[in-house]
Amino acid sequence: MRNVLALLRREMNAYFASVLGYVVTIMFLFVMGRTFYQIVLVFRERPMQMGPMEALFGMFWFPSLFIIPAITMRLLSEEKRSGTIEMLMTAPVTDFQVVVAKYLGAVLLYTLMWAVTGLYIFILRHFAGDAASLDLKQILAGYVCVLGMGQFFVAIGLLASALTKNQVIGAVIAVSAIFAFIIVTFWQGTTATGELAAFFRYVSPFEHVREFSRGIVDVRPLVLYATGTAVALFATTRIVESRKWR
Amino acid sequence: MQPMIKVENLTKRYAGVTALNGVSFEVKRGEIVGFLGPNGAGKSTTMRILTGFIPASAGSVAVAGFDVFADSLEVRRHIGYMPENNPLYLDMRVAEYLKFRAKIKGVARSERRDRLNEVLKQTGLVEVQHRVIGQLSKGFRQRVGLADALLAEPDLLILDEPTIGLDPVQIRQVRELIKDLGKRHTILLSSHILPEVEKTCDRVIIIHHGRILASDTPENLVKSLHAGGLINVEVRGPGAEVQEAMRKVDGVETSDCRLGADEFLTVTIQPKPGADPREAIFKLAVANGWTLRELTRKRTSLEDIFVQVMREEDEAEEDRREGRRSELR
Repeated sequence: MRNVLALLRREMNAYFASVLGYVVTIMFLFVMGRTFYQIVLVFRERPMQMGPMEALFGMFWFPSLFIIPAITMRLLSEEKRSGTIEMLMTAPVTDFQVVVAKYLGAVLLYTLMWAVTGLYIFILRHFAGDAASLDLKQILAGYVCVLGMGQFFVAIGLLASALTKNQVIGAVIAVSAIFAFIIVTFWQGTTATGELAAFFRYVSPFEHVREFSRGIVDVRPLVLYATGTAVALFATTRIVESRKWR
Repeated sequence: MQPMIKVENLTKRYAGVTALNGVSFEVKRGEIVGFLGPNGAGKSTTMRILTGFIPASAGSVAVAGFDVFADSLEVRRHIGYMPENNPLYLDMRVAEYLKFRAKIKGVARSERRDRLNEVLKQTGLVEVQHRVIGQLSKGFRQRVGLADALLAEPDLLILDEPTIGLDPVQIRQVRELIKDLGKRHTILLSSHILPEVEKTCDRVIIIHHGRILASDTPENLVKSLHAGGLINVEVRGPGAEVQEAMRKVDGVETSDCRLGADEFLTVTIQPKPGADPREAIFKLAVANGWTLRELTRKRTSLEDIFVQVMREEDEAEEDRREGRRSELR
């Protein structure tokens, strides 16, 4: 545990010692802020079926596809390329501790970014008051969903990073894998029927976000993401260990 | 006493390549041992196995009595390791990096500050401790690697090519530092630079093609090859006579006489093993009234030995191959 904390701290330092941490945070806040501004403009014109925060959560695909891979792409690939992995793995820490610390660091950064969007609630409250008809429980459920999903995508990104020494390849694999996962919802709309359609609806992130941000908290998607994360972290650890049996 | 390192029949095969082939050696506590060999001989592979970074294909390796495979974490607590090319987090500051390393190496919170200050002083990094590692010169980075290796006060230091890529002044500084560290730590270092090993190590292990060819003190290695090295004589006298007389001197194996640019003869003498015929040569010259201008013994360097041992090994290999080929016929 002490090891994980030390490693986690180093991860957080690394984000903000380089420009990476600032760039991804600023880009995230710029896109989400501009989107929020647009949402507010639209709401001023006419009432909508969804709440403003629900509309914002609907933008989850942007950070999932572009911000998360940018955060995760260098996590293990860069350690391998520069050889620092040897320093890390010859210190008395286990491979799993290293993987978990990197995962937690990326999740923490991603969570902090989303946390900033919490300010939008105060903005809405202040300027729209009751007219915005904010339900904090629903909003909280929405955050649970995007973050639960986000940490799964972080695990995928970390796995992709473990596969290569090249950051760009790590990013390309991560974007493709996350995109494939997100896009299933459109596949089901076009071809699947019956059982298959139900399955795709069950795994569709769009469905999850819609339901959660309306306050319908379903444990099954969370279990799906948690399971996926566990599998991805396990696979990542095995890949890091693979130097031992290659 | 239990040896610091005990390696038995260590073999490492990568896909299709045998990097180490039945290597056995021991390093006693307090020794400074140099691993010598050309690039690709298996030095780094051995060190990576010792530190638990990669496992062996066969054989057993123990550090401080712990098996590197079964007790990997325990072994790592006893080792300070500086890998080849000294990889560091270039975005971190020196003190910040060392603090992080101290934490993951399990240095107790109460001792961290002291240990940090101690190694900064030891490696001469006090002045640059707040600088970003990526902006430091290679010599300073090398010291950061050494400081890291020293942090947890390990029993054993494993340094893979500690002076590679440094300029002569930096090499000398790092060498001095290593020598100094040898007073308190057991050290295994690798190099393909011979004077370095010769000057810093108590014992040298020569490794080539994944096998150990020789293991002894630098002096003994020199002795065992040709005892004294060549003797150089410059003398003025009648050529044929000098040549004849030199050959008869006690302890002279062969002599080769050549006329130099001026009237002096240059005689190169190969003494018999263990013999030192310099005094006899001096007396001979005096007795005959020849003028003696030079009488020196060229020390065989480790470099000569290294080259010779490699050549013998390569020839032996060639013979084995020849033998196999003729068997096939």
